[in-house]
Order: sequence, then structure tokens, then C-alpha cells
Amino acid sequence: MLDHDETLGQAREELEGCLDVEATRAVERRYLGKQGVVQGQLAEIPRLEPDARRAAGQAANRLKQDLQQAVQERIEALESADIAAQRAGTGFDATLPAPHSQRGGLHPITQVTRELEDLFRSMGYDVLDGPEVELDYYNFEALNIPGDHPARDSHDTFFCQGDGHLLMRTHTSPVQVRAMERFEPPMRIVVPGKCFRQETTDASHDHTFHQMEGLVIDRNVSVSHLIGAMKTLLRGIFGRDLDVRLRPGFFPFVEPGFELDARCPFCTDGCSVCKKTTWIELLPCGLVHPNVLRSGGLDPDEWGGFAFGLGLSRLVMLKHGIDDVRHLLGGDLRFLEQF
Amino acid sequence: MLVSIRWLSRHIDLTGLSPEQICEDLTLSTAEVEGLEPFAPHLSDVRVGHVLERNAHPDADKLSVCHVDIGGEDALTIVCGAPNVSSGQKVAVAPIGTVLPGDFKIKKSKIRGVASQGMICSVRELELGEDHDGIWVLDENAEVGASVSQALGLEDFVIEIDNKSLTHRPDLWGHRGIAGELAAIYSRPLKPLNVELPDCGNGAAFPVQIDTSACSRYLALPIDGARAEPSPDWLRFLLLAVGQRPIDQIVDVSNFVMLDLGQPNHTFDRQKISSGVNVRMARDEERLFTLDGEERSLQASDLLICSGDEPIALAGIMGGQNSKVGEDTSALLLEVATFDPVIVRRTSARLALRTDSSARFEKSLDPTLPLKALGHFVQILRSFQPKIQFPGPLTDAGEWVDPAHRLTLRTERVHAALGKALDEQEMEDILRRLGFGVQSSATGFSVDVPSARSTKDITIERDLIEEIGRIHRYHNIPEQALRAEIAPPKPDLRRNMVRQIQDRLAGGARFREALSYSFVADESLERLGLLGEPYVQVVNPAAQGMDKVRRSVLPSLLPGLEANRRLREDIRLFEIGKGYHPEQANDRGEPLECHQVGLVWAGCPPDKSARFDASRFHQLQGVITDLLDHLQVESIQWRPSTAPPAWAHPAKTLEVYVEGQEEPLGLVTELDPGLCSKLGLSDDLRSDVAASELSIDALLGAPKFEGRYRPIPRFPGIKVDVAVALKEETPAAAVEAAIRESGKGLVADIELFDLYRGENLGESRKSLAYHVLLQSASKTLTEKDERKFLKRFEQAITQQGGELRNG
Ligand SMILES: [Zn+2]
Repeated sequence: MLDHDETLGQAREELEGCLDVEATRAVERRYLGKQGVVQGQLAEIPRLEPDARRAAGQAANRLKQDLQQAVQERIEALESADIAAQRAGTGFDATLPAPHSQRGGLHPITQVTRELEDLFRSMGYDVLDGPEVELDYYNFEALNIPGDHPARDSHDTFFCQGDGHLLMRTHTSPVQVRAMERFEPPMRIVVPGKCFRQETTDASHDHTFHQMEGLVIDRNVSVSHLIGAMKTLLRGIFGRDLDVRLRPGFFPFVEPGFELDARCPFCTDGCSVCKKTTWIELLPCGLVHPNVLRSGGLDPDEWGGFAFGLGLSRLVMLKHGIDDVRHLLGGDLRFLEQF
Repeated sequence: MLVSIRWLSRHIDLTGLSPEQICEDLTLSTAEVEGLEPFAPHLSDVRVGHVLERNAHPDADKLSVCHVDIGGEDALTIVCGAPNVSSGQKVAVAPIGTVLPGDFKIKKSKIRGVASQGMICSVRELELGEDHDGIWVLDENAEVGASVSQALGLEDFVIEIDNKSLTHRPDLWGHRGIAGELAAIYSRPLKPLNVELPDCGNGAAFPVQIDTSACSRYLALPIDGARAEPSPDWLRFLLLAVGQRPIDQIVDVSNFVMLDLGQPNHTFDRQKISSGVNVRMARDEERLFTLDGEERSLQASDLLICSGDEPIALAGIMGGQNSKVGEDTSALLLEVATFDPVIVRRTSARLALRTDSSARFEKSLDPTLPLKALGHFVQILRSFQPKIQFPGPLTDAGEWVDPAHRLTLRTERVHAALGKALDEQEMEDILRRLGFGVQSSATGFSVDVPSARSTKDITIERDLIEEIGRIHRYHNIPEQALRAEIAPPKPDLRRNMVRQIQDRLAGGARFREALSYSFVADESLERLGLLGEPYVQVVNPAAQGMDKVRRSVLPSLLPGLEANRRLREDIRLFEIGKGYHPEQANDRGEPLECHQVGLVWAGCPPDKSARFDASRFHQLQGVITDLLDHLQVESIQWRPSTAPPAWAHPAKTLEVYVEGQEEPLGLVTELDPGLCSKLGLSDDLRSDVAASELSIDALLGAPKFEGRYRPIPRFPGIKVDVAVALKEETPAAAVEAAIRESGKGLVADIELFDLYRGENLGESRKSLAYHVLLQSASKTLTEKDERKFLKRFEQAITQQGGELRNG
């Protein structure tokens, strides 16, 4: 028979030497497994004197229990040591950078367009679309700019090949008469879209840019309503009330026509954005010219309205402080990734 | 247009008004002021000096040493090289520290051993003229020590007005017109203008014949004894202030009258046009050397001034060389006329010959203006050259109608348009200040529009309302909210779909949205094999080879890949935009407009150990599948494209379509293998590039499923993995079909997770491995169900010449 204490002591010693659960289990098998020490002792019992068997059985069982407990203790000790080691966070570098995660995103013009569309839709405007390749009729004729009107010069038009009736629209205004043809008044619409001007490009001019046209047709619409609507619009864009001023501006499709200036939102006493004037020229607008209403099949004695044009590209540049308009359509990821 | 404040002061008393104030008021009531600059600001640092003594330079023949009093305690010693300097003169002295035009700073210097304490200036050095024969000798009464600008009364400010904002105002293309606006704004009177016609001799009138309706009025006045001498300083400096180069009295007075009253005019050498003036349209192929030395080839649409039949001027645009006034000319013919604005405009545009004259004529000039302008010309020239004579009477030819007219202005309309009830007295006052005649009527006023405002500008009642509004000032009109019934906006399906696409691609798929130019370079189209397609083309492109408007979006995205690939390993871009197809134009000639979304995904090719579906082509197909599912497009199917675009891989192009519909929604493809290097994506930029185009129009029209809840299965399913080895040509779809077939309705999900080719499989064979989920709505499946499935599947696969590789 094995001596209980000696065997247990030896096992404990071996267990002490085990540094992980796996090694502990190996020791456990050696003592408690099918071929193990305890099993060997139990196997000897039948060969003993009958009255010694009982004591031997009890001794073997006690050894087994004590060994099991020793193993369990060792495993628990190892596990808590392991958790303690994990808790210590050895090797953790708090300054390792987070892995780079490529993000998608919307173009800044899309973002601003959406904000404005939502603002206008909340005020009862519909959002319309119009063609970039436009008929001369809608871009000029129907807007009270007949064939030899000097105002055509300032539009720097890209003309299309063919019989001269097609051009790249120079503004979003052609949608005014298109809308009047399609819908019954009263109406409130905005039209975001691409426009084209054949001019030399530089940091503040590009031959392709984005605009948003607005048109309100109703009975009894006055300059006073126009001012109110524009102030609401600016409140929506800049999130606060901005002082505005209307001054005369000449656009053949409105009469009277205005340029709307807003107090520079970036300074109080002049900065580079407002060219030291404290005013920024924001949008041309005016009461719809009676001839334009006639082009749209409306009776100017019954219907009136106002129209305005917002430079989306310019607004995006103002909003983000972009110094070169050509970045907008340049497709450079280093630009696009910033929004 | 440049406007001098000193010049304006000839017409109106501007006392007490700062240049800034004037600019602000013009901006708020009349036209956009773009700039305000002092005229010749350096003149305020240049002093009037008195040459006390002039001595020869000890060491240089051509230099002299002057002692010049500029009002300081000691006279300055100045070395001067001009031959005309002499003692007793008043001269312009730039003391040390003065900065002259061209950033020329006057420094203390020694010239041949003599220290010079400044410079005696010529007009050229002060940018006041061309003359550089010598120093500028000032008026003997000029106050010593004063600044030159003060002493000579040259202090001036120049206002730049945006020409665009004057397009509709022919009357504002001269200083008197602008002064008239200030008169209305400030309620100050205009000074009278002497435009009296001279007494003329008894000679024969100069013959003028007009053969066209394009010239409604032609005044011709012969002048004898005129001399081409330099103009007096006041005139020279006014011209300089507005950017005109002074030449001689005849040219300068002509320019002055144009810039003063807005009426162009021309002087001919009468000796060269002895056979009388004939105004007619040109004949095709006719030629004329214009004053700028160019030979102009003319057309029947051009208007000519001829001597007999010989062209001597391009009417309203530029004179001819053959009738030019020279230094020895003394017999002049002064022309002041009214020409058709459209004809002048067309010719000047066609010849790209824009002049101060054509810019004014094309705005529709007042036909009553020529007579005033002619009187003005004569009065000024005679004030310089009292001896000029007028041998014959003025010829006033042409048929013209005074455009002055009367309009009705209803008070109620003014209120309705402005949204403010203005006082009737104020309305009347404003209109009178602006030069309108006003009588009260039952509904408001009867307004007489003067001829200067009548040619184009003021034609309807609304135009008068604008006049009142702008002088009243729009910012004095209170704001008012629009009131109307507002119904909930109609759903905007197209815009909603565009937003869904943008959000899905930018969000889940992590694509960046780009916006591109609509023009695509020929060079790019050539590379993409698209140059031969029909395009909307512009005749005046921004750059050569940039005249084509894209048919679809991708040609805008592909050429930019190289630049972005240099900076990024992985590029995902999409654009939503339009393309145009001219061959499918409607009956109004508008090309077919296509709304599209284009996507590119490019980056380093996946390495060999990557999963079988790591290629961007597969990944992009996954993105599109997800997008279409998000848009709830029903019954999506894929098929190889029979007609892939030129830039697409001829074999690896898949069309996505709605089951049962012919027209595809779009395609997914890899770039044509030959194209990558042409796009610069070779060597270290070698890339795996997938692209896709979807038609938003087709997506809008596609049937949609409704997102409905499906009950969560009550019974657990069994996950079975199957792997089959089969012939290369057997499509994966056949294996999937066999799985579904074998499941007898129990297959809830199939996912291909491995595609493998290897020697152990044998030549031209591949292995496909799937996760299959078997599930029943009515019971818990058992191993028995799994075995049955596997048995049936093995049979099906064996029939296709494959083998089950499970366990
Ligand atoms: Zn500012």
C-alpha cells in the first residue's frame, strides 16, 4: 500500500511544478486516470485479506478525494493567476493607433443641396430637375432675353453643334418656364443643378458649377414677400438671422431685379471673404418679369411671383472655407475624404 | 466702366459727399460699384518745386545740377538729365522716399560724384503721358511745396462700375448719365450743359445718303482749321483717370464727348472723303483696313460708312485707315449718328472687335442724343481752338422717331409690387428727380418717359415701379411672410431614390461620392474606345478636345483613377449624374437625357491566398446586389452581357435585370484587360478595377417588393457543409440548383464559401464548397433528414460528372 501522506505530498509537489492547466491535467491522469496510481491501489484491494479490504478501500478513496482536491486547487490557482496576469494588461500599448477604417461619404455639394432641399420642402416647395443640355428657348428666349440682347454676352454660353438651338444651360432659370408649362399655379419650386459658363477658370471661377433656382408663383406676390422669403432662407442656411440688403441688379427675366447681399457671417468689420465690405453678394433675385409669365402661359395681370438663384458651389466654398472652386469637381480623394 | 468723380463734378455739385458715400449710394440705387481707387495716388507725394539755379554738372556734359526749392528750409540739390530744365521753372519733384509707378523708389544717390536729393519728373515717369523728351514744366502759378495733385487740382477718385449692371441703361454710359442718377439720389440739380450749335457758313451742305434702315440718323458737320495739338491738362487728366490715353485735341474731344454723354462719334479727314458719305450695308467679300491696322473681311450683314462707294468706316465700331485724321489734317468731317444696335452687335461679335463705341451702340442709343453730342463737341473744340470754322450747314439725315412715350402708372400696382404703400407725393417726386414728366390721373399718374430712357429700358409700368423702388431704396421695404395653404409635399420618388442610393453607397459600402465635369476629353474617350460614339458637342469648348458632353457617368470617373491610385491603395468612388444621347433626340431636338449612377472600385490586386471572391469585381457585384435589395427591386437576375461597353471586360461583364424584363438595370464589369495600362494603372500602380453603371430611370421603373416581416423559424435547422469536385465548365448555378432540388423544399439558405482548384483534383476540375441550411417550418429536422439530403445531392452531382467530397 502506498503511504497516503507521502503520495499526496509527492503529487502536490508535482502539481506545484505545473505551470498550466494542461500539465496539471497530465499529473491528474497519472494519479487519478485509468492507469493511474489510485486505480492501481484499488486494483490491489481484491488481493488483500478480506478484513483489510475495507480499510484499504477507505484509504484509497480518501487518497483519491484528496488528490482530486489538490488538482482542483491547483487548477483554480492557475486560473486566477492567469486572470490576474490578463488584468495586468502586460504588453498593452495605450498609444497604438486605431486601425484605419475607410469611410464613405457624400460630396459637399450634395450635402448642402440636401439641407436646402429639406428646408424648402418644409416650406412647401417642390424640388424639380431640368436638363443640362438646354434649348436656347428656355435658357434665353422664354426668359425675356431675345436673340440679339446684349445680356447674352455676359452669359458666356457654350453653344452646341447643330442648328444653334441647343446650348449648355448657363443658369438653372430655364426651369422657370418649363415648370410653368407643366404645373398649374400657384407653385413654389426649387431646382438644384449643374450650370456652365465658357469662361477662363481660376480659383474662384469654373466653367461648370452648381446653382439652385427658386420660383414662387402666386397672386399678390411683392418685393416685401421676396425679402421675407430670402431672410427665412438665410436663417435656414446660416442658422441665425443675418441682416440683408437688396440693391438693383439687372437680369432681363426679373423686373425689378436685385442682388441680395447679406451681412458677412464671418466678421463684423471686414475680412477677406467679404473683401472688407462686410457684405457678401449672395443671390440674384427679383419679381418675375411679365414677359416670362407670358412665356409660361400665365396672365401677368392675374399672377405674379419672384425668382432667385443660389450659387451652391459658392455656398459650399463659404461654408467650408474652400480656397479653390476647381477642387469641387476635380475628383481628388484628398479633397472628397474631408467631407 | 470707369467714372471719375472730378469729371462728375463738371455736371453736379458733389460738395459734402465722400467718394465712399457716392459709391454706396450708386450701389444701392443704380448699379454695382466694383471698385474705388484714387487717381494717380503717387501725385500726392510729388511736390511742386521751384528751380532756383541750374548749373552744369562738373563731370558730365548732359547732366545739370539744380537747386530746387520745395518749400522746406533748404533747397534740394538734384541732378537732372533733361535738356529742358532751366532756372525759374516750376517742376514736379519726387523727394527721397517717394514711390513712383512701377514700384520705383527714389533713394539718396550720388550721380557722377554729386549727391542728388530727389528727382525732377517727366510726365512719363508719373504715368501721365508718353512724353519723355524732358521734365514736366508746371504752371508758373503752382504753389511751391504743395503736392502736385493739390496744386494742379488733380485730386480725383475713379469708380469702377460693373458693365453688366448697365446692360439695360444706354443712358448711363457717360458721366452725365451717372451724374443724373446722383442728381436724383441727392435731389441736387444738374449743371447746365452748353450744346449750342455753331453758326455755319454758307457753303454747300455735306452730302449724306442713307441706303439702309440700319442707320436712323446721321449728322455730318464739316470743320475747317482744326489742329492736332496736345490737349490742355484738365482734359488730359480726366481722360487718364478713366484709362484713356490722351492723343491730341481732335481725338481727345471725340473721346471726351463719348465718355461724357455716352454718344460715340467719329472724325474723318474730309480731304479723303470728298465724294460724300453713303451709309449702306456691306457686300460679301468687301474689305476694309480698320484703324487698328487689321484688314477686315466683311459680310452683307455689316453696316458701312462709305465715301461714294468706298468703305471708310465700320459703322459704330471703328473707322478706316483710309480716312484717318492725321497730324496735317485741318479739314474734318464730324460724324454723330444712330446705328442699329443689333447690327453693330453682330458685326462686332463676329469680328471680335469690341470697342467703346460698339459697346454703347449695341445698348440702343437715344436718337435725339447725336445733336446734343455734336454741339458739345463743337463747343469744347472751339474753346481750345477758337479759330475753327464751319464752312457749311449741318447735315441731319435719316428717318428717326423720337422714342419718348407716355406710360400709365397705377398707384395700386406700385403698392402691390413693392408690398409697401408709398406716399403718392414721394412717387411723383422720385419720378421727377429722375427726369420723367408726371401728371396725376384717376388711378395714379400719367408718366412721360424721356427719350434717353425710352429706347429699351422703360417700356412697361413695371419698369416705372422699379424706378420708384430703387430710389426709395429696397431696404426701406419691410419684410412680409408668404401666406398660402401648404399641403404636405408630394413624395419625390426620383430624389428619394437618389438619396437612398447615395446613403447606401456612402454608408454601408463605404464609397466616396464624386461630382465631375460633364465634358470628357477626347483623349480619355479615345483610350476608353468611346470616341466614335455620337455626342452632344459644343462649338466653343473651354479647351481643345474638351467639346464632348458625356453619354454616361463612368467615362468621367475612369480617367481620374491613376492620380488617386498614386495616393491610395483602395479607391471606391461613385457619381450620380446625367449623360446625353443626341441620336435619340425628341422632336424639339433635345437629346435623350439618362440619369445614372456610376461606380468604380480599384486597388491593389488581391494576393493569391485571398478568398476566391476577394476580387473587386465580385465585391462590387455584392455591393450592387445589396443596393438593389435595399431599393427593394424585385426578382433580380444576372446574365453575361452580349454587348459590353468598349472599356469593359468582354467576357466578365454581367448585366443585372429584373426577371422577365429585356432592358437591363445596369451592369457590373472588370476593366478591359488592355485598358489598365492605358489609364496609367500598370507597374507599381497595377490595379484590380471593377466598375458598374446603373440606370436610375430603369430603377425607378422596376417593380418593387414590399418589405414584409417573415416569422422567425420555430424549429432549429441543420447546417450542412457540402463540397463537390466537378468539371471546370459546370457553372456554380448548376450546383446550387442541385442543392435546392435535393433539399425538397428544406433548403433555407446556401452560401458558397470556397472555390478551389488544385493538382489533387485533376486537370480542368474545380471544387466548390457550400454552407447549406436545412430548415422546416413544421418540425425539428434530424440526422435522417440530413442523410437523405446528402444522398440525393450525391446522385445529382454524380450525374453532372462531379463527386461529393464530404468526409
Ligand atoms: Zn467679412
